[in-house]
Amino acid sequence: MAAATFRDKAAIAGVGYTRFSRDSGVSTLTLAVETILAALDDAGLRVDDVDALATHRVGDSTPPWVVAPALGVPEVRWYLDQFGGGSVSHSVVGQAAMAVAAGVAETVVCYRAINARSEFRMGGTGGGKSTARAPAPTFDVQYQAPYGYVAPAQQFAMAARAHMIRYGTTHEQFGHVAVAQRDHAMRNERALKRAPITLDDYLASRWIAEPFRLLDCCLETDGGCAVVVTSADRARDLLRPPVLISGAVWGGGDSFFSGGGPGPAGGTDLTVSEAARIAPRLYAMAGVGPADVDVAEIYDCFTYSVIVQLEDYGFCEKGQGGPYVESGATRLGGPLPVNTHGGFLSEGYVHGINHIAEAVSQLRGTAGERQVPGAAVALSTAQPGYVLAGTSALILRAAQ
Amino acid sequence: MSAPLDRDSAPWWDAVRRHELLIQRCAGCGLLRFPARVVCGRCRSCAADWVPACGTGRVVSWIVNHQPFLPGMSADAPFAVLFVRLDDGADEGADIHMYGNLVDAALSEIVAEMPVEAVFVDVDDNLTLVQWRPKG
Repeated sequence: MAAATFRDKAAIAGVGYTRFSRDSGVSTLTLAVETILAALDDAGLRVDDVDALATHRVGDSTPPWVVAPALGVPEVRWYLDQFGGGSVSHSVVGQAAMAVAAGVAETVVCYRAINARSEFRMGGTGGGKSTARAPAPTFDVQYQAPYGYVAPAQQFAMAARAHMIRYGTTHEQFGHVAVAQRDHAMRNERALKRAPITLDDYLASRWIAEPFRLLDCCLETDGGCAVVVTSADRARDLLRPPVLISGAVWGGGDSFFSGGGPGPAGGTDLTVSEAARIAPRLYAMAGVGPADVDVAEIYDCFTYSVIVQLEDYGFCEKGQGGPYVESGATRLGGPLPVNTHGGFLSEGYVHGINHIAEAVSQLRGTAGERQVPGAAVALSTAQPGYVLAGTSALILRAAQ
Repeated sequence: MSAPLDRDSAPWWDAVRRHELLIQRCAGCGLLRFPARVVCGRCRSCAADWVPACGTGRVVSWIVNHQPFLPGMSADAPFAVLFVRLDDGADEGADIHMYGNLVDAALSEIVAEMPVEAVFVDVDDNLTLVQWRPKG
């Protein structure tokens, strides 16, 4: 099967953010418009240049077919309104790149705009101004919800415990993820959490769902983020140095109830994520390997998510994700700086696209105090498939 | 919270109401599966029947929940949710898992690979749940 189907055909030419907060006070349409205009401005483009919009949502945001007419986009030639949460976050940009490579669209703005704290809390948890919650993505929820098993924090905690049992991963190793990312966030003006934390602070934080404490969990954030995808050739004529989309893959589909199917682990195994399945395809498409990656923005809804993906994307041996983060390898200055913006744990939670945006900043060399010197290849990843089966990821590269 | 039903799962919930634990079995290749599916992912047969599960298994993983994610949950906290691998079909790679709460035991008793057995708990007039207790 051809691997390099649309390698380097498309590029990210612009990045935009809204302010991150716990209560934006505005609609998700307002956030979408603000972040899209910011991304176009960054690229040196105008709304009149846009011919496609792409997003994903779980009933918690404003779709392209509302945003486009609101902005006065002259003609939408392609759009994507993908159902799904963090697991599909990177497929949105991947599909935009595919549309550009196919010549279906020329300028796609990918966005995510959510009031994930003030209006729509993931899993419908803990209240908020609205009690809105996502429709059950699969019927399988009926076998979980009656037991009080309803939230992503619980689902990832279950997998984290399995990893602790199998590989001896420790609470302290989860803590090292949180501490390292807070250290990175201190160098990021956009980050919601910038006060330093220690391992003791982590261990003293209250239980959410054992083995997870409060500081294992991402922030719930109101905010928007957008990236402009266009052809690599066109990107070279725009305002910013292009960031090439070298690898973009998505897929998966394992069940965490019963095995016998062709899962990445050959059966039901909570300690292996869908990243293990897509990683070979991702590296093959991009024509690089884990050793070529200079910086990784890894979906960190919870600390464990980072540890399992470090293994499944091949940065360390299976089961060694805990010792790997404990060694300091993922800190700025280490061999593989991870979540240089602070991630969802400390910058804010925009469901994946803010990881892509940070990767772009690193590859442009504009990440300031948190810049990884000479960063040329970046990995950015999505929720690794524990909530909805499947995941997605990108390998981005600075244009020569 | 009451259990939402889909049409494929109705026979399972009906059986639980009668205090019977069933698993679906592919009529084509015999592979056991759970939850209900209209097709076998191995041989793709759409024919299946329901067979009694032995009702025992082992704790693969568990959480102890503290956060009141839903209204009313704080009254029960802390509570455990177990991820149980059933003994059924383990030799044939069926790898059947079910969730449930721990009953008749203290949270501190939970250990990996702990043997458990299914218990039927009538929650109200419309809902019966499968829960798990240590197997003596």
